[in-house]
This record gives sequence, structure tokens and C-alpha cells, in this order.
Amino acid sequence: MLDAITFQNFKVLRKATLPLSPFTLIVGPNGSGKSTALQALLAIKERALQEREGKQTSPTNFERFVTAGLEVTDPPEVEIRLQWSELSAWSELLAGVTTVAPWPRYGFSTLQHYQHFQQELSKEISRSAAGDTLNLVLSRIRVYSLDASTIIQSAKLEPDVELSPTGRNLVGFMDSLRDKEPERFEALNKELGRWLPEFDHILFETPETGRRAFLLRTRKGHHKIPARDLSQGTVLALAILTLAYLPDPPPLIGIEEPERGVHPRLLRNIQTALYRLSYPEQFGEERQPVQVIATTHSPYFLDLYKDHPEEIVIAQKTSDGAAFQRLSDQPHIMEVLDDAPLGEVWYSGILGGVPAEQ
Amino acid sequence: MKVAVLSESPADEAAIRILVDGILGRPTQSADMPPIRTRGVSGVFTILPTVLKHLHYRTDADALVVVVDSDRTPVHKPEHEQEGGADERCRLCKIRQTVDSTLDQLPVQGRPRIKIAVGIAVPAVEAWYQCGRDPHVTEAAWIAGLSSGRFPYTTSRLKEDVYGTSRPSLELETRCATEEARRLVQDLPLLEQCFPTGFGALAREVRNW
Repeated sequence: MLDAITFQNFKVLRKATLPLSPFTLIVGPNGSGKSTALQALLAIKERALQEREGKQTSPTNFERFVTAGLEVTDPPEVEIRLQWSELSAWSELLAGVTTVAPWPRYGFSTLQHYQHFQQELSKEISRSAAGDTLNLVLSRIRVYSLDASTIIQSAKLEPDVELSPTGRNLVGFMDSLRDKEPERFEALNKELGRWLPEFDHILFETPETGRRAFLLRTRKGHHKIPARDLSQGTVLALAILTLAYLPDPPPLIGIEEPERGVHPRLLRNIQTALYRLSYPEQFGEERQPVQVIATTHSPYFLDLYKDHPEEIVIAQKTSDGAAFQRLSDQPHIMEVLDDAPLGEVWYSGILGGVPAEQ
Repeated sequence: MKVAVLSESPADEAAIRILVDGILGRPTQSADMPPIRTRGVSGVFTILPTVLKHLHYRTDADALVVVVDSDRTPVHKPEHEQEGGADERCRLCKIRQTVDSTLDQLPVQGRPRIKIAVGIAVPAVEAWYQCGRDPHVTEAAWIAGLSSGRFPYTTSRLKEDVYGTSRPSLELETRCATEEARRLVQDLPLLEQCFPTGFGALAREVRNW
């Protein structure tokens, strides 16, 4: 699991540390670095993929990532540091490891992994088995910003289907789940019926040779509703639900506004789906936990996390970029919140993480 | 009898209806309205006057049951019942004041006054679900903790004991809550004995309907 990510000159994140939990929900105004933090993970993933595939390391694309408006007289380095802990089996051997991803202005660079032995002493393990494991973990990171108009499109039938960042291929993934893991697919259908009681089953059709589209069957009358005729909220909810039923999910998932388009009364289900990823043992799942980093602007969604302030991170614009703070690190937070809804308190501005006013 | 239930979550509401039916000794019907949802305990206080007006003007509901958690607020005492003895920090007193002031504004003609029953789960409804399972979970134990500052348990621990996790899904929460409520109605005197103020108040008001 990642304990924290430290940023230096990465876009708006000039000097910031994002503390992480098995599940983390980041709230804050537009432009406060929430999405940038997820983009940073993708930038590292890209590099880990290149290194795993043994490709010639490409120039570092310094200009693509450097903090906007930074005066580059003495070229600063863009750098991201990942701090690992041993809270899950896949990173058990990696406790105390730091991954450093530098983007120097000129030349090439690779990911470096350091194992700390004592306070000052560390050894590079980039080319060891542990380093390979880390690159594998990093290359499997996924960041989603789901888009209903993309999700509803038919998809080409392929053997190893992956859900794209916007949700393209959801149909292919569900089709593959039905064929390869029928029990899991049935569990998904059952859960769909709890979320959206008007539907009872996901069905498939072949609009043209080699392509699949999905439909939802109504509980009453068994009418088949094509994906294109479903509401956007229904489609987005189905995508989040499906993510929770991935048989072999990535070790780390970033997800932008998982509550988008979904009715406030369904948000508890969205929360449960994300917890299912992060705490699989609590849902009877025998698989590795997925570390989830989500962002939101919804006070209603935030309300649901009042019992777990350690899972909330407040993103704040500062004079020097942006900063993050874990909600549970704010002084006397539970006394301040008392019985007020967390989302209401956040909206008021008391906790920070709201837009500045002139 | 048509009864509406207002509480902090759908799971609590399902369990509370079972308890109310048990106290009455007959099944109640839901009021003819969509289930009421609130954003936690403060949402209950905010929406309560509107719910009462809705029930009065737009439904044929006979009664409303309101149950909230006490959390760490002062627990209702017999002296609160005396003239001028209501404590504003006590959630049961606060709900009753809101109910009385709202119902007093509503016209009395054309419709019988809505019957009310208010309960306070001390410190949380999960404590009720532990009745008969954990003898240390009682109102008396919590009140002693409130005065000494040494609480015998936390609401998170109660949740973990009841649901097996501090992050239960709504489905799990509802299943456990309703199972426990069905068990509790088999021995309501014990629940009333362990939670004389918060559950006792609810039971007495329901019996007086």
C-alpha cells in the first residue's frame, strides 16, 4: 500500500504530500491538485510500463509536468516520491521502500526504488526482484474518469478486456465476467437489483459481427432496455458497481468523482462498492485489497465518511500551489464536527478545501 | 394503523418498525409516502417540522415514531419531564419541543392530531441490538461513563460488534438490524429494563396511542 505521495514541482503540486489510507477521498476546490495527484500516478505508471517492457527510456517530458509559471533559471527537478508500507500482501516485502520518479529538465531518467535500512542508510533496489515487483504494481495502476456516453458504446470482442479510463469496454468486461466467472456475474446482477430495483439482469446483444452491446432487463415485464436508452446515472452507477466485482483488480485505483450523476440516496451504495475494493475481506472476498483514491465535490457523498475522518484528505489552494491535509489531523476534529453533517461543515469552509472569494 | 418512522438511516427505520409492531402487538402499515431520509441526526431535527406538516396535510398517517442516537449528549432524565424541566441539550426533550411547537400550529379541524412516540438510543441504536447479547451494554453503564468521562464502549465498537465491521453495507446493516429487532421483540421487558429512558420512553408512548 502507498502511505503517502510527495510532489515537487509537479504541475500545481509544487511542494505537497498526499497522505493515503486503504481508501482515501480527496475534497477541495477546482484546481487544488486532486486530479493532478491522480495524473501523477498515471505518469509513473507510464514509466513503469516502459521499464517493464524494456523499452528505451524516453526523454522525461519535463515541460509536460513542470509547475506552470515556474521560472526555470536554475532548472528545478520535477519529482514524485511514493512511500510504501506493508499493509497488504503484495507489498509485504516493500515496507519502508521509497520510489523516486524524477523528471530532470534534460536527458533521461528511470524509476528508482530505495530500501531504507536505518534512518540515514538506504540501498537502491531498482534492479532487484523487489524493484521488479514494484514496477509491476505501478504498471497496473488504473485511473478512471467515467463517461456515460463512452460506456454505452458497443465494443469489439477481445480476449483480454480492460476497462478504459473513461469506461469504454465495460460491455466487454461484463461479457467476459459472465463467461469466465458466472458466479461473480450473478452476484453483480443481484447487487444491481438492490441498487436499481427496476432492473434485474444485464443482457448482451451483438449489434454487428465481433461486437457486443449491453442492455438492462426490467424486473417488471422483462423489457430489454438498450444501454443507449438508460439514464446517465444508471450507466455510471453500473460502471462503479462493476469495478467492485473485478475478479483480479489493479492494486491501486484512482477514480474521479465516483458519485457523479448518481442520485444522493444511492451514494451509500457507491461508498460500499469502493469499500468492497479496499476491504475485500469484510465482504467475503478472497483477493488482495485495492487501494482506492477518489475525489469528490459532493457534500452528500462526504457525509458518509464522518466516522472515518482518517479517510478524508482536504486539498487546499495555497499561495505556492496546493497542499493536502488529512481531516483526522485537524485539531479536535470530532468535537468540532459534533453532530453536524460532514458535508455541510465542509461546505461552510470551516475545514478548508473551498474556493477562495474575492 | 398507519405509522411513519423517522430515524437516522433506513436500516434503523426497518428495525424500529419491527420494535413498534412488537410493542403494539399487531403489525402497522407504512404511511402513504416515500421513505423519509435524513443526513444524520441534525438532519432529523431540520426535517422534523416539515415531516409533521407533510403527514398532517397530505397523508392519512395516524402516527409518527422518531428515534435518534444520543451519542455523547446528556441522557434524558425523569426531572426533564417536569414542568419547565426540559433540557435543551437532551435530544429527547428537543424532539418533543419541536413536535409540540409544530403540531400546535397545525389546524385541529378535519384531521385527528398525529400520535407521536420518541425514542433515544443511548448512545446508539446498536446498543439496543446488543441487549441480551452483552450484559455490559446498558443505559446505566453509559450514563456512568458520561459522568466519569470513562466511557465503557464507543459507538464504533458497538457497530463492529453488531455488524462485524465498522464499514457495513446498507444491506448488511439492514439485515443485522432487522434480525436483532426480531430477536428483541421476544423479550421487550428486558430491552425496557436495560434502556429504561431511551427505549422505555418510546414503548410507553406507543402503548398510550
